[in-house]
Amino acid sequence: MSNIAVQRIKREFKEVAKSEEGAKCEIRVELVNDSFTELRGEIAGPPDTPYEGGKYHLEIKVPETYPFNPPKVRFITKIWHPNISSVTGAICLDILKDQWAAAMTLRTVLLSIQALLSSAEPDDPQDAVVARQYKENYDVFLKTARFWCSCYAGAPKQASNGFEEKIKWLTDMGANEQVAIRTLSSSSWNIEKATEELFS
Amino acid sequence: MKVKIKKWTGVAVWKWTANDDSCGICRMPFEACCPDCRIPGDDCPLVWGQCSHPFHIHCIMKWLSSQQMAAAQLCPMCRQGWRFR
Repeated sequence: MSNIAVQRIKREFKEVAKSEEGAKCEIRVELVNDSFTELRGEIAGPPDTPYEGGKYHLEIKVPETYPFNPPKVRFITKIWHPNISSVTGAICLDILKDQWAAAMTLRTVLLSIQALLSSAEPDDPQDAVVARQYKENYDVFLKTARFWCSCYAGAPKQASNGFEEKIKWLTDMGANEQVAIRTLSSSSWNIEKATEELFS
Repeated sequence: MKVKIKKWTGVAVWKWTANDDSCGICRMPFEACCPDCRIPGDDCPLVWGQCSHPFHIHCIMKWLSSQQMAAAQLCPMCRQGWRFR
């Protein structure tokens, strides 16, 4: 990796650790290898969102041309959000694409992603299924996002909405649990629709 | 008391008068050079945009050349159109 990229990442690594948000454990970065080309990020789900209480892991790949090009970031932890693919974890965020500026850092990128969790943009979706649910059935979206947060991001379990029973119904019929959760989430927990999608 | 100076050595310090401590692109202090240079000072000078943000000249030139695809070349700090001051 180029000199400037390595030097900057080393500095930014310390900046995150020393920052106010880092001290409160809201954001974190750790090394994956010795070359600083790949990092693991972690952000806390913001309060007053369905992601509250969850810890989200991010894959951060630093390009050779950093900081002149943005780092490549995606969610490793599964998340139900209009601007994040529920399948691949790809993030739709302008500063990770054409709005990147060389003055941004790992810290500001992590904070921007955390802010995205608080303010979704359903009209510029990365996951069209989630975005449609967000716009048409916000209450179900909230419950689903909260459920994914407790399933995958380690948040405490919330009052059951009968989701577990529906998942069990499908897994008893032979469906893989993750596939069952995704299919039920996508069909807004309509068990007939999900069954039809999975088994016909 | 009479003092006779036999020898003296002058020492000077220099500092860029920038309205910031470090370059927003390479994050090195302005008194140091950009990561591609070895000797700070006139070999690795600072430049300012009309927006008043300073950078190492080598850093901002790399940023501007990486922006060629973009419609406008913007300051990495404030996103105003970049013009040299």
